Amino acid sequence: MSALIELRNVELSLGREAARVHILKGISLAIDAGEAVGLVGPSGSGKSSLLMVMAGLERADKGSVIIEGADLSTMGEDALAIFRGKRIGIVFQSFHLVPTMTARENVALPLELAGRADAFEQAERELRSVGLGDRLHHYPAQLSGGEQQRVAIARAIAPDPAILVADEPTGNLDEANGTAIVDLLFALKRERGATLVLVTHDTSLAARCDRTIRLRSGRISQLGLVAETVA
Amino acid sequence: MPGGSTTQARPQGLPALARLALKLAWRDLRGGLRGFGVFIACLALGVAAIAAVTSVARGVGEGLSREGKRILGGDAAFSLIHREATAQERSYLASKGDVSVMATMRAMVNAGDKGSALVEVKAVDAGYPTVGDLRSEPALPLPGLLAARDGAFGALVDPLILGRLDLKVGERIQIGETSFVITGTVLSEPDKVAAGVGLGPRLLMSESALRQTGLVQPGSLIRWTYRLNMVGSAGPSETADGAALAALEADAKRVMPEAGWEVRTRANADPRFSRNIDRFSQFLTLVGLTALLVGGVGVANAVRRFVDTKRMDFATLKALGAPGSQVVAIHLVEVMLVACIGITIGVLAGASLPYVLSGALSGVLPLPLSPTIAWSELGIAALYGLITALVFALLPLGQAHDTPVSALFRDVVDADNRRPRRVYLIAFGLALSAMVGITILFAYDARIAAIYIGVIAAAFVMLRGVGSGIMRAAAAMPRSTWPSLRMAVANMHRPGALTPALVLSLGLGVALLSALSFIDASLTRALTQNLPERAPSYFFLDIPSARTAEFDQFATLQSPGASIERVPLMRGRVVSLNGVPAEQVKAADRFSWVLEGDRGITFAAELPKDSKLVTGEWWPQDYRGQALVSFDHDLAIGLGLKIGDEIVVNVLGRNITARLGNTRKVEWRNLGINFVMLFSPNSFAGAPHTHLATLTMPPSAKVQDPGQTTQLDALMLRALARDFPSVTAVRVKDALDAANELVGRLTFAIRAASGIAVAASLLVLAGALAAGQRARLYDAMILKTLGATRSRILGAYGLEYALTGLVAALFGLLAGAAAGWAVTTQAMNIEFAFAPTAAILLAGATVSIAVIVGLAGTLRILSKKPASYLRSL
Repeated sequence: MSALIELRNVELSLGREAARVHILKGISLAIDAGEAVGLVGPSGSGKSSLLMVMAGLERADKGSVIIEGADLSTMGEDALAIFRGKRIGIVFQSFHLVPTMTARENVALPLELAGRADAFEQAERELRSVGLGDRLHHYPAQLSGGEQQRVAIARAIAPDPAILVADEPTGNLDEANGTAIVDLLFALKRERGATLVLVTHDTSLAARCDRTIRLRSGRISQLGLVAETVA
Repeated sequence: MPGGSTTQARPQGLPALARLALKLAWRDLRGGLRGFGVFIACLALGVAAIAAVTSVARGVGEGLSREGKRILGGDAAFSLIHREATAQERSYLASKGDVSVMATMRAMVNAGDKGSALVEVKAVDAGYPTVGDLRSEPALPLPGLLAARDGAFGALVDPLILGRLDLKVGERIQIGETSFVITGTVLSEPDKVAAGVGLGPRLLMSESALRQTGLVQPGSLIRWTYRLNMVGSAGPSETADGAALAALEADAKRVMPEAGWEVRTRANADPRFSRNIDRFSQFLTLVGLTALLVGGVGVANAVRRFVDTKRMDFATLKALGAPGSQVVAIHLVEVMLVACIGITIGVLAGASLPYVLSGALSGVLPLPLSPTIAWSELGIAALYGLITALVFALLPLGQAHDTPVSALFRDVVDADNRRPRRVYLIAFGLALSAMVGITILFAYDARIAAIYIGVIAAAFVMLRGVGSGIMRAAAAMPRSTWPSLRMAVANMHRPGALTPALVLSLGLGVALLSALSFIDASLTRALTQNLPERAPSYFFLDIPSARTAEFDQFATLQSPGASIERVPLMRGRVVSLNGVPAEQVKAADRFSWVLEGDRGITFAAELPKDSKLVTGEWWPQDYRGQALVSFDHDLAIGLGLKIGDEIVVNVLGRNITARLGNTRKVEWRNLGINFVMLFSPNSFAGAPHTHLATLTMPPSAKVQDPGQTTQLDALMLRALARDFPSVTAVRVKDALDAANELVGRLTFAIRAASGIAVAASLLVLAGALAAGQRARLYDAMILKTLGATRSRILGAYGLEYALTGLVAALFGLLAGAAAGWAVTTQAMNIEFAFAPTAAILLAGATVSIAVIVGLAGTLRILSKKPASYLRSL
């Protein structure tokens, strides 16, 4: 069986001219369906950039990124957006909810973009599943940080994606909220059978993954079981 | 299985996508209109200017149409120059309805020792006014006021005459050979609009009195107007229908083809006035459009700011699966919805102006304003607003298409300065073409609209270039050791600097104002101060043919050393060119005026000395062949005439057929005697006519003490009134003053409309400065933290605004001077006058405004404590 996510010799540089920085240096890896993978490493090692490349948010300069057999590097900008909307759910450290929309509207947004007629009913179900059934009509500014991240998670899982990526999902939350969010993410992953890839500095969070990938200076320095890389 | 939704349908087709975009845009708008204040105000101002001008013009048009009968004095008016209607013509008119007669002419009022003055005489019959009311003081019946008593006829005069000649009601005056007693003053005439702009104040007398003055001579410049209330009209309020009027006009031309009368009907009471209103309103519409385009810069700045603040949302939408095009579509819809708010405000303000004017200035307005909701004009104003919003919003929004989603992970989305995709450039091109298209399509004169578009485009490009140039120059400047100057210069060229926006908004405002100032100054100088060295001092009208030699002697005696030029004068109307009736000849406005109404014509054996033959040959001194005519060269070309072509003119009720013998270059600017059409002498052999003369003082006399000149003039005019009572003297200076006063009134309207454009540019300026406040705040807080005093920070910012304002003002003045030069020398054919005082004042005002508006925002920032801001920076 082939991997759900496969990266082959991926290179990425950012910035222009003298300020150009080589971020990812020949990354190759494969992640199977249903896996939970943690990307760990020091700041500036390229974790977030690697996640972005996997999620089709950043285009690799070289190499190929294959998701469910589809080569992202061959897709146009709009095709990539549509693919992402259907197949990849993204959770950000800073939530990135649309401030002018209620929780329900924020969660319905990707479904509306996909043309789903039941967008709002589905959004309500998702919000109830993350424990926000009583916050449907609240605007982001009326929600706590933990609640905002729950809305963001509900929005990410609403289109029922095959892959869920999360960038430091607990980075802006206190410990209690952070733990609750992580529990929620893993519970949803289990329920829906999705593949979870997350970036984290939190060793306890990394420890809950099936395996971790450690990066250093844009290269994979260690690839293996959690016990080996987190230690 | 996760991802089972791959089969779910995306919204298909344009309607579904549009609905979704509208829904999401509307949802986003619930967040309020914060940041859209300048955007809405800019559009509202520009649209209001256009809507107001076009609504008022429509109101005047409606007024002319609704009150056509009052303005015309009947259902139809037949006017003849030089001659009265023949018995046959009168009987024809009488067969069609009730006829009342009126004669108008210029004449001199002689008040004995108190001097004399030019007046516009209106002689009326007992029925006047058949429609509307004449207001006089005392308010007594007109026949009584004009009747003869104690050997003198009664006359009603404009109060101006009383002031000018120090006269009182009850005093006697002389007109021609007859005495009149002033029985009162004219306060308003129902048919004043149709009379047009006169050179002198009104004097009303009876028709029988006019006949006693001796002014009615063969060839005298008298216009006889026969007003007809059609048979079947039960009373003055009941009007004949349009079809009957058209039939009457056609019938009159068919039955009396050689009458040469000008026929106007109630439905088109004053076509020239209507056309002038149309022309002027078009000009003001272009000024309004300038306000809208200047405001467009504010729109673009606001949209750019909107895009900047929404970058995270754009990235989020893209992360959630919205293609870039959909992100742009959603926000374009949002921007256009906000534009609709501004446009609605503008349309409402513009539509209400005719009502406000009519209510507040009722009785004061010289125009028959009939307020109405001008739906089509308001629709056009709204269309201009929508397209302006689209043109200026498309490119900044187009840049949002490629907002990198990866930025969400870095929490920073840098301003993206890359060029928008081709599809947005094409859409921008289409929107721009639509704007150019509708400007030309709805223009009264497509040529002027095209020139306007060219000038505006050039101004935009130039000021854009100037903005970039200033930034490059500032970047290349050596670093000053004076910190404030160093900071000011650095602020002028750093990324996101306000320089381009400041230069564009201030520069456009200054360019517009300075162009108007220079045009105004050039016109004023041309009309008042800048008379050519050989310009005549007086024109004398209606010199009887039999007394020309006597008149020459008189003039030489009265003004020794003055040169006198005299030519025969008649007035006639062009009937046809090469068999094509004058009203069907297709020619541009700047040429077709020759075919409208009657024109002064003359005949001469020799080429006038101020003219130069261009094509053809001058006729021999003793030419006896077919009538020949010499035409002004440019007008001949404009009317499509070539040597040998047939021209028919109606003079004194006779159609004269002539061939174009030659064309000549006419020097109009020396104000000497000259005519568009000059005929060979045999063309009018035996026709009664009068002479027109000019009297040009020698240069030495012109520098005399003005008081002495006035005294000499008064003596000469008194002698003229005594020896030649039928001759009318028109002082060139008075005529030019009258023209200048009219120009002054028009300039006021233009200035009012331009004021809106300048207000728009100030709004743009304020918006641009507000947009830059975040960067200013950051700088100010850091500088304060590092120990900079408020005065030092203010000094640096003030210096930056002053330097940018100064450069913008200089380039604005240059652009304005270039536009002013082009308009005055190319379109108006007058000398360009650079007005240094106005230029210096404008530049000073611009720099002051830039500094004041700029520092107003900065002052607020400086009063804040750094700590609270630094925590959130």
